Amino acid sequence: MDLIPALQMKKVSKKFPGTMAVDNVDFEVYPGEVHALVGENGAGKSTLMKMLAGSFNDYTGQIYIDGKEVKLYSPAIAKANGIAMIYQELSLARPLTIAENVLVGRLPVRNKWFLDKKALIEETKACLKSVELDYLDPFTPVEEISQHEAQLVEIAKALGNNPRILVMDEPTSALSREEVERLFKIIGKLKQQGLAIVYISHHLTEIFQVADRVSVMRDGRKVGTLNITDVTQEELIEMMVGRSISQVNNAADRILGEVVLEVKNLSRYGFFHHISFCVRAGEILGIAGLAGAGRSELGRAISGVDPVDAGEIILAGRKIKVKNMAQALQYGIAYLTEDRKTQGLALRLTVEENLLAPLIPRHCKGFIYQKQIGTGIVKKLIDDLHISPPDPSRIVGNLSGGNQQKVLLGKWLATGPRVLILDEPTRGVDIGAKVTIHTAIEKLAAQGVAVILISSDIPELVRLSDRVLIMRKGHLLGEIPGKACTEEAVLLAINSEGEIAHAS
Amino acid sequence: MLVKSERIELNKRRTKTAGWIEKFGVYIMILVLLILGTLISNKFLTIDNLANVVHAVALLGIVAVGVTFVTYSGHFADMSVPGIIALSGMVAVDMLRYGLVVSLASGLVTGLMVGLINAFVVGKLRANPIIWTLAVAFVINGVVRWLYRGEQIYPDLKAGEKLATAFVNLARINIGGAVPITVVVFLVMVIIGQLLLTKTKFGVQLKLIGSSYEVARMTGVNVTGMVGLAFILSALAASIGGILLTSLVKIGAYYNGVGYDFRAVTAIVLGGVSLAGGKGNMIGVLGGVVVIGLLNNILTLLGVGTFSQTIVQGLVFILVVWFNTYSLRKLGKADG
Repeated sequence: MDLIPALQMKKVSKKFPGTMAVDNVDFEVYPGEVHALVGENGAGKSTLMKMLAGSFNDYTGQIYIDGKEVKLYSPAIAKANGIAMIYQELSLARPLTIAENVLVGRLPVRNKWFLDKKALIEETKACLKSVELDYLDPFTPVEEISQHEAQLVEIAKALGNNPRILVMDEPTSALSREEVERLFKIIGKLKQQGLAIVYISHHLTEIFQVADRVSVMRDGRKVGTLNITDVTQEELIEMMVGRSISQVNNAADRILGEVVLEVKNLSRYGFFHHISFCVRAGEILGIAGLAGAGRSELGRAISGVDPVDAGEIILAGRKIKVKNMAQALQYGIAYLTEDRKTQGLALRLTVEENLLAPLIPRHCKGFIYQKQIGTGIVKKLIDDLHISPPDPSRIVGNLSGGNQQKVLLGKWLATGPRVLILDEPTRGVDIGAKVTIHTAIEKLAAQGVAVILISSDIPELVRLSDRVLIMRKGHLLGEIPGKACTEEAVLLAINSEGEIAHAS
Repeated sequence: MLVKSERIELNKRRTKTAGWIEKFGVYIMILVLLILGTLISNKFLTIDNLANVVHAVALLGIVAVGVTFVTYSGHFADMSVPGIIALSGMVAVDMLRYGLVVSLASGLVTGLMVGLINAFVVGKLRANPIIWTLAVAFVINGVVRWLYRGEQIYPDLKAGEKLATAFVNLARINIGGAVPITVVVFLVMVIIGQLLLTKTKFGVQLKLIGSSYEVARMTGVNVTGMVGLAFILSALAASIGGILLTSLVKIGAYYNGVGYDFRAVTAIVLGGVSLAGGKGNMIGVLGGVVVIGLLNNILTLLGVGTFSQTIVQGLVFILVVWFNTYSLRKLGKADG
């Protein structure tokens, strides 16, 4: 191609303490092209795009826009250079009108002070037309339109700044099949207008539908860029995973005990439906699925955080009703949240206070809280999990992400659970912490605890699980037994459209 | 790497200093005010005067100890306190005709009732604590004016001379002939409050709730019950304060207790309790209350009028809240 790329990144790198998040990556997008970016969690996609959005002022390498070198050291600079981002989470203010959202920061005024209503309507209409939403009244509050319309309004808002480059990060995670088709039609139109589009998604089928080229990232490096017509889904997965020999599964020689937890036809309408499975003592049961599959919601419902609409939970042969977390803990069911910072750890308190938080009722004699009972437990957990620095009086918020995650795990280990539900236990942690956490999980299973492992980190699922359940859009599609469990199999199963072959 | 560890070291030292100031800063403030007072007037540093200072703020202290539980739980403040003070005082006077015990009990029960309502609406229904308790104060004010037709009520007219004397003398008891009962009640409440906060399941879980409500909920803490209990304790303390205040001023009136809300919060925040919750202790609140007393005393010695004193108190409130928010923002950075 003799065209000048709309965006060209040359040997860009970004270092985080301990890791190269992005390592010498070349990446370019031509005008009128949809360039898909794929890779597993932590492969560096988000960091690369954050670089483009101007989130870092210390990246290395060169970035060219329309052939001119730019230094994208702040979000304002990125915006001025025609880069627009659309994230998974919408950035719309729900109580405000569509017009106010779309034209935020540049509302038309007359006489310096007064809102120019006519111009406001016209400009909003023009923006909405580009995403085929011109049937909407610009003065409708965003909270009154549907999710997919909001997603399109978000795009309209981004387009309103006349960008050259549009980055879409998982734009379809909340959309239905037909809505996705509509979005793709609009993307096709934007392409014709000469926009350069970067499309990030875990849904590989979508990428084959919408992209012209695809770049695969792994461990901060770019593995390759290919025309979408030259590659199959299997080849793409192999590039993402990076090994043609599959990961060894450790689960083989694990001894399983009695069924500890059984779930029958469990439903929370709108989130998950008719889920049935059981977990044995000493088993690690993986649950795989894409965002919106209902995995976290299932875990939260079993542990009493969210309500259950229908179905049964049977613990060691006895039917139980779990109304809240306190009750779940009494039954020996613990749930490690995926949201460490707002639901998992009290960041302003110390390591010790966090580790002992669920044990407060148990360490009370009458009215009095016996703090000293916990001292030994805290010391043991800090040693076992290599929490660093090994200081119980350290404020948790000042620890590294990996050590925070260890404290979070320790908090639930301290309760001595029979069933431990782990929701993304190693999200965003460094490799050292990951190994420690994996070892702790395996040790726990060896002690006879039933572990349910919800994870988007597929190598992790494959390495640890005895079986992997596959969930999609709130339904349980089947399971992959340990022997057949490879990264490829899991990736194919969560992406595929039909029923999976291994369903038992 | 070296640069980073140096920065952490520096941050650590800075946090340590900040923590130290937060814990003991109020006592430094007391020291400064003591020196200032001594320089201003030779009447200041006398046992009589200092005893007066503490006596003057003991009622405020009693109320502040209660509100501290609410602030500590991360629910900012109980603004229904002035209403509870007025109502429980008036109910106590009204019920005096059935005897002193009934009078005191019904005053306390009144506080308990308002506390239960607050506990339900804020703890269970999760209403905004400030707006809700302000509304409660407003409603109580209306109810009291309607019930008593906007008039003050006098113990002697309600229950005769003998019972009235007993009631009025209540707040005038001197323990050991020297220490006023209000001061004793205040100090006992500080000690009980401190034990509650640091040694009981309630206090430890309240700290977790104050630090992060969601985390506490996801850890299996009965958040509804604990937050509710904080509001109940606050209301009970306010009714104790209300009965004693009414006894002291010899009149039950709807305006008893005006200003106790903001003054209590000022004392609490001065005492190092974080408005975001989960941080602080009763010893600090004791200091905060004393600071307010000293400040008023010094202003009086300087010949500043009552109205101007209110302005100074308001300014101190603004300053303290600003400082608290400022240090929170610093802390927020550490969180990220």
